Amino acid sequence: MVDTAFGTDEGAHQVIEEVDGAPTDADAADGPDTTGVDATGSDGADVHGLDLAGASAWFDAFHRRFEAEAAALGDLDRRAGDGDFGNNILSALRRCRRRLDEEPPRTPGELFLGVSHGFLNTGGTSGPLFGMWFRGIGRATDAPVMTLGALAAGVADGTATVQRLGKARPGDKTMVDAMAPATDALAAAVDAGLDLPDGLARAADAARAGALATESLRARRGRAAYVGDVARGVLDPGALTVALFFSAGPPAPGRL
Amino acid sequence: MTAQDSIAGQLLVGAQRRQFVNEPGDIVAEALEGLEGAYPRLIRWNREPSFVIRAEPAPAGRVAVVSGGGSGHEPLHVGMVGEGMLDAAVPGAVFASPTAGQILAATQAAARDAGVVHVVKNYTGDVLNFAIAAEVASDDGIEVRQVLVDDDLATTSTTGDGPGRRGTAATVIVEKIVGAAAAAGADLDRVAALGRRVATTSRSMAVALAAGAHPGRAYPSFDLPSDEVEFGVGIHGERGVGRRAFATADELADQLVRPLVADLSIGRGDRVIAITNGLGATTGLELAVVHRRVTLILEAAGITIERALVGPYVTSLDMAGCSVTLTRADDELLALWDAPVRTIALSW
Repeated sequence: MVDTAFGTDEGAHQVIEEVDGAPTDADAADGPDTTGVDATGSDGADVHGLDLAGASAWFDAFHRRFEAEAAALGDLDRRAGDGDFGNNILSALRRCRRRLDEEPPRTPGELFLGVSHGFLNTGGTSGPLFGMWFRGIGRATDAPVMTLGALAAGVADGTATVQRLGKARPGDKTMVDAMAPATDALAAAVDAGLDLPDGLARAADAARAGALATESLRARRGRAAYVGDVARGVLDPGALTVALFFSAGPPAPGRL
Repeated sequence: MTAQDSIAGQLLVGAQRRQFVNEPGDIVAEALEGLEGAYPRLIRWNREPSFVIRAEPAPAGRVAVVSGGGSGHEPLHVGMVGEGMLDAAVPGAVFASPTAGQILAATQAAARDAGVVHVVKNYTGDVLNFAIAAEVASDDGIEVRQVLVDDDLATTSTTGDGPGRRGTAATVIVEKIVGAAAAAGADLDRVAALGRRVATTSRSMAVALAAGAHPGRAYPSFDLPSDEVEFGVGIHGERGVGRRAFATADELADQLVRPLVADLSIGRGDRVIAITNGLGATTGLELAVVHRRVTLILEAAGITIERALVGPYVTSLDMAGCSVTLTRADDELLALWDAPVRTIALSW
């Protein structure tokens, strides 16, 4: 699909394939995640929401995929920003991991709050903004299971906070370009009565489309805003990271 | 500028630097450890997350004042921690904002029961991370007000958008006034309002004779030919707004002061607090010569310098150069300026 402006840029291709859901080496070792979607019984058919194991597996998959893509995302940032994105987010994710090990969460909400803590202790501006986004998700519920409705509300809250603090609107070539469509997709999925895996799949599609559309945009916020038209033709690494997060979400048991 | 000029300039002005440094990445932590050892009765360093806090906490009932920003501007901000000024300072890496997590931890540690004022220099990373820390702190019931310092006249926007003026040496005056107001028992809104008033009526302008070099780097961030100065520099080693001819101390001081007077619209009968600030490598002897001229210019204009500081207060690593800051003063601000202070950098 994305044979547009990348030319010989292997790294960017790799990220796109990853966001597209194609299996990569990062997943090969342990296969797709089948854990973590809460089911009322052991048959795994009834999917109400995300339990702690599911949230934990989701974060682990996101972390693993980002580790695999950090260099490519850092390269995108070097072409339009200051090049510190990959390393900053990588150090944030590792900090999240340590935090979750030191203070094990008891609910999915607590898990995302732990992730938020890791990001808020990261330098730069993208890291702390992601911290506030995950904080929105973490605050959505303190129940043992996070429903699609709670997740949708949390993502909406986090996205609104990122927009307010980062002063970015959709179309400014930032992480918001993936967060906003994912927020809308989740809300629509709730209205349509979808279950959590289907809702997450919709969000992943929307985030991916939003991230890919940043390629043709001229940056109005963030570091890339300083380089003007130079940033055209370069995907926004923040938006791609959001797409990577949703695409790492746990699929439904029995649908693999 | 020709290549030949550039080479000549580098040989004369920007020759290779040597520094007292171990591992460049350790310089901030090692410096904090050194200061804590030197001034144990004034400050305490919390290592992780890193922030510096008063050794003896202020009494309950007082508004707490927290500031911070990238390192490389010493004695700002750690040198301003103590009675009558900052309750805590949050140092980032060299020229990089501290993290929101550091600021949050410092805010929680400094907060008494009357709210916290954040004094923030106007840079995107600092403003965002302080705003995030303030928002998260409010979950703990800590009320925070942000006072933004944006005094650098060189970065006045002509279009009205963009990040706005940078924050530079007026930060010292804002921190002194805000700290004194908090010590006097003013409430949160009152302390913040005073800080904003000082920030609004302060302007600074700087000139560099040579750029500074990052720790561990042998060469400065830009080169200057020996017959030129960089006018309108900030405090992060970036280029200024233009090159001007190198000139006498008096002539350069004139070029710094006149735009400040014009922009603040001050004239006969007005009163100011002034800082002639060294940017890191300029001697006290030179700064005093510049300040002499600042005084003469303002006297001739009928403006009274009520209080002044002359020295390195807000530096840019080892940049050679100086800035002049003027703040409108009245009896209320002067009383707060004169109130007792006991920090590493200011003490009276």
